[in-house]
Amino acid sequence: MSAAREHPFESRKGKWTTIAKDLRRNKYVYILALPVILYYAVFHYGPMYGLLMAFKDFSIADGIWGSEWIGFEHFRNFFNSYYFERLLRNTVLINVYELIFAFPAPIILALLLNEIRSRLFKRTVQTISYLPHFVSIVVVTGIMFDFLARDGLVNQILGFFGIESIPFMSEAGWFRTLYVGSGIWQGVGWGSIIYLAAIATIDPTLYEAAKMDGAGRWKQMLHITLPGMLPTIIIIFILNMGSMLSVGSEKVLLMYSPLTYETADVISTFVYRRGVLETDYGFTTAVGLFNSVVSFILLVLANSISKRVSEHKLW
Amino acid sequence: MANKRTAGETIFVWFNALILTGLCFVTLYPFVYVAFASFSDPASLAQHRGLLFTPLDINFEAYKAVFNNPMITTGYRNTLIYVAAGTAINLVATAIGAYLLSRRNLYFKNLLMMLIVITMFFGGGLIPTYLLINNLGMLNTIWAMLIPGMIGTFNMIIMRTAFQSVPISLEESAKIDGANDLIILFRIIIPLSMPVIAVMILWYAVGHWNSYFGALIYLRDRELFPLQLVLREILITNTTDNMMTEASGDRMAIADTIKYATIIVSTLPILLLYPFLQKYFVKGVLIGAIKE
Amino acid sequence: MKVNRLKVFWIVLLAATMSMTAAGCGGSAKEQPQATLDPESPPVLSELTYWVQIVSQVSATMKSYNEIEAYKELESLTGVKVDFQHPPQGQQATEQFNLMMTSDKLPDVIEYSWAGYPGGPEKAIKDGKIIKLNDLIDQHAPNFKKVLEEHPEWKKEIMTDDGSIYVFPFLRTDDKLKVFLGPTIRQDWLDKLGLSMPTTIDEWYNVLKAFKEQDPNGNGKADEIPLYLTKGDVDTTTAFLGAWGINAGFYQEEGQVKYGPTDPRFKEFLTLMNQWYKEGLLDQDFATTDEKMLEAKITGGQIGSAILYTGSGIGKYGTLMKDKDPNFRLVAAPYPVMNKGDKQIWGYKDYAFNGIGAAITTSNKNPIETVKWLDYGYSEEGTLLFNFGKEGVSYTMEDGKPKFKPEVLNDPSGLPVIQSMSKHNRATFSGPFMLDIRFDEQYTTEPDQLESKIIWAEPTMEKKMPRTTPTQAESSRYASIMTDINTYKDEMYLKFVMGAEPLDQFDKYVKTIESMGLAEALEIQQNALERYGKR
Repeated sequence: MSAAREHPFESRKGKWTTIAKDLRRNKYVYILALPVILYYAVFHYGPMYGLLMAFKDFSIADGIWGSEWIGFEHFRNFFNSYYFERLLRNTVLINVYELIFAFPAPIILALLLNEIRSRLFKRTVQTISYLPHFVSIVVVTGIMFDFLARDGLVNQILGFFGIESIPFMSEAGWFRTLYVGSGIWQGVGWGSIIYLAAIATIDPTLYEAAKMDGAGRWKQMLHITLPGMLPTIIIIFILNMGSMLSVGSEKVLLMYSPLTYETADVISTFVYRRGVLETDYGFTTAVGLFNSVVSFILLVLANSISKRVSEHKLW
Repeated sequence: MANKRTAGETIFVWFNALILTGLCFVTLYPFVYVAFASFSDPASLAQHRGLLFTPLDINFEAYKAVFNNPMITTGYRNTLIYVAAGTAINLVATAIGAYLLSRRNLYFKNLLMMLIVITMFFGGGLIPTYLLINNLGMLNTIWAMLIPGMIGTFNMIIMRTAFQSVPISLEESAKIDGANDLIILFRIIIPLSMPVIAVMILWYAVGHWNSYFGALIYLRDRELFPLQLVLREILITNTTDNMMTEASGDRMAIADTIKYATIIVSTLPILLLYPFLQKYFVKGVLIGAIKE
Repeated sequence: MKVNRLKVFWIVLLAATMSMTAAGCGGSAKEQPQATLDPESPPVLSELTYWVQIVSQVSATMKSYNEIEAYKELESLTGVKVDFQHPPQGQQATEQFNLMMTSDKLPDVIEYSWAGYPGGPEKAIKDGKIIKLNDLIDQHAPNFKKVLEEHPEWKKEIMTDDGSIYVFPFLRTDDKLKVFLGPTIRQDWLDKLGLSMPTTIDEWYNVLKAFKEQDPNGNGKADEIPLYLTKGDVDTTTAFLGAWGINAGFYQEEGQVKYGPTDPRFKEFLTLMNQWYKEGLLDQDFATTDEKMLEAKITGGQIGSAILYTGSGIGKYGTLMKDKDPNFRLVAAPYPVMNKGDKQIWGYKDYAFNGIGAAITTSNKNPIETVKWLDYGYSEEGTLLFNFGKEGVSYTMEDGKPKFKPEVLNDPSGLPVIQSMSKHNRATFSGPFMLDIRFDEQYTTEPDQLESKIIWAEPTMEKKMPRTTPTQAESSRYASIMTDINTYKDEMYLKFVMGAEPLDQFDKYVKTIESMGLAEALEIQQNALERYGKR
């Protein structure tokens, strides 16, 4: 048992003795946390039988237990869809791009903000940068359509430089760039908040010591600030790995058109369009379960890799 | 402070300031656009394309429509209650959970963590959750707004990570002085993790402020509706392509400006929260304070 | 001290959590409701819970339907106090409805679009959620019974395939009430260029060409967009495509279900659209233009013709442009046909029954009295009450015709008509009653709007599929086939029209759709149509 190995005061007796000892020693911790444990038991594990719907021909009247078993029918339906591969590819690619571009953006912003000495300027930038988080996606996409239209602002500027106008919103090739780019635009400030908090907990004496050693700002950033943020960065990275198969449908639905399906149609929008025809809880659950299983495997992988290369891990 | 800058550093400082100023403009703009648009004349706005640098023919119709709604004060009141009570419950529960998971010498630590992470990916979906809420008697009550989302697992893991970075020596010396877990959590760990606590307050409060889905499925009593739901309805009032409104011809022309006004009305109050929390993001303030 | 208080707090919280959990475990046993009707139900109905989505024109000024004058009057007439339960508005109220259906304690009356119940209304009856009303109507609803006897075509629409009547429906009693969407054109542009209203595809071509080349908006630039026609417009109204005698989905010809998008005639339509697109007659951005941009293009005087609504198109833009461009006149155009004098087959016409109706649930303790209560809406007086409100308050009778009072049509506090009316009646939205043409005549007042309803009511719609319902087993299969087909056909439509895919690929396109299971989908529709025919 790896858990037993990690146990610092363990003298290799039986498992049960260890557990009994642990319960005795950490009695108050467990009692304190009981409501939390109960919460997870009741509100998360309690309803989990709903996953059975993925294997059933769910009908409202019969309920989850009473509905008829149909095995992997919903999964077959999904995997055999003419578009399955395209959906999977689009979903994963958007996530990969987000991981490459959108994930580091708030970290870089936090580092840059940290280098600002003027407190007023720093606070102003912070406050302003997080504002777009509060603008609804409908409005953001509305502004995008307006600015990126064939005769919109961006093309007017391009035209000024003699570049032929580009129909951004109707070209499949542009979709991912626009999706990820607008996501960064809207979320970078808000995303940086957690990293700023991580920086704020770094012991200031470390910087003083570094200065004594003659370290410049670049070195300080590299050797003190970044390592101080690292636990947070790694944990968020691992958790992000677990969402590789999910792209929220709301924004894609607002942005795409059949013209850009080629790159824009993702699993969630496909399920949504199917849902327009029929409320099919069974099918939706099956697709969700498929997502969950893949995501969870990715998360476990990311966690074990991280465990090897750094000491930061989820478990 | 900056008395011995190298040339490279000077360039960096200016470059950095430039980048961040640019970022400010780019990110501020959508918000400014929304603000200007909300005060514009709907007809002028409809014809306008591109950037807005001032409201077009100032007009308050959209705000009138929002504030004349019979539900608006109810909505504000309820949302304030949900934000205050909800965030308080969230914080206490999340802190306790994070404390549990951050203990180094817990036998079940990894098992618990695994079980909790699983819930981020696997859930029973709406129907069993609804039945649970129904059976608990929370349907159509304030509890349905507060309890089911008591802990955000992502937040709890972030908080645990922060708790883990508190130097163990402080804890151990406290233990020698006879402190129990409650004292360690509330007297040592939380004060040392205030930046993360501030982030959590912000995330949870904004989450409650913006949330409407729970209300959408659990509430039928309009007296309990939160602000976001009321605003959504106002929006729908002015945009629905309902058969009869379509046939009628007096679908109000303020639809578009209403959309912007609701954003302003719903965002401004919660924006005020940030400046109060901002002081916790200043490096070193807390550690210095504790060590005194 | 502090620690002690905290301890107490935790003990309390713990206890509370445990009791909640206990309740959670104990309460989940499912009780089957008694669906049988109690013959000795109490004769007096005094209270009723009524679940219905509140519509926006009501929620703008009121908190519940109880405040509507018609319901206040109904309460004093019948003595029934209604407790209206209003879920939040919008699409997602569906979610609340579906979830509510998983539980057994339901409101007494649920007004909803019951076709949305998974498996259809017949399934809702079989599932023991709502009750079959045929016998109750026969015995206790004389007014509604009379209506159904006089209008067998309505009866057919509101029945399930098995012949069950499950709701008190919303009925549009006049063809003009079913028409509110169609092609519109700038009459002032036609006049300026000396053109007459186009009726055939060729005439349309000439008109659009003239719009493009002769600068009808007079700004010296060729920035006119002669036609704005989206894929969605073709799907819903069949405008232009209808000239070929097919639509963009399933239709029926002498009892045979057919599918438009794979018909050779669809290729001819696509060829034309492709040509118009290349010549700049069709909006170059028709695939990505959103509502706001369309609005900007119309008010900016660029659009020559588009598919629009009576209200939010002809009415709205007429008002918006009044000051800006006094000549602006957007009017309804007839649906184009192929040859002069051809009869219009395709257009947009809604059904008499729009699907929304009030059903009585199995939780209702007094169905007989509830039926009587609902039946009032189909009487002479009930029709007046729901369409016009209370006599003397919102309308008066003049020469035997109800006439709205001026303060209702022109609210002194400046409320839009739809909101000021909704304080009195239910005619601006669906409900269990019959919509009266006399209401609409006072509601839609602009001559161009009234005219549009006459022009757009022209198509015979003889090939339109009736409101069929697939069985539950069929519907899952159908959804799975059609999701793929729709994705593909929507994508290809744009590619063909915009020239990204040459039209000689049409045969390959047909083959692909067939390989996705079109035959099976056709069979499902065919079966549904045959079941409908047997009603």
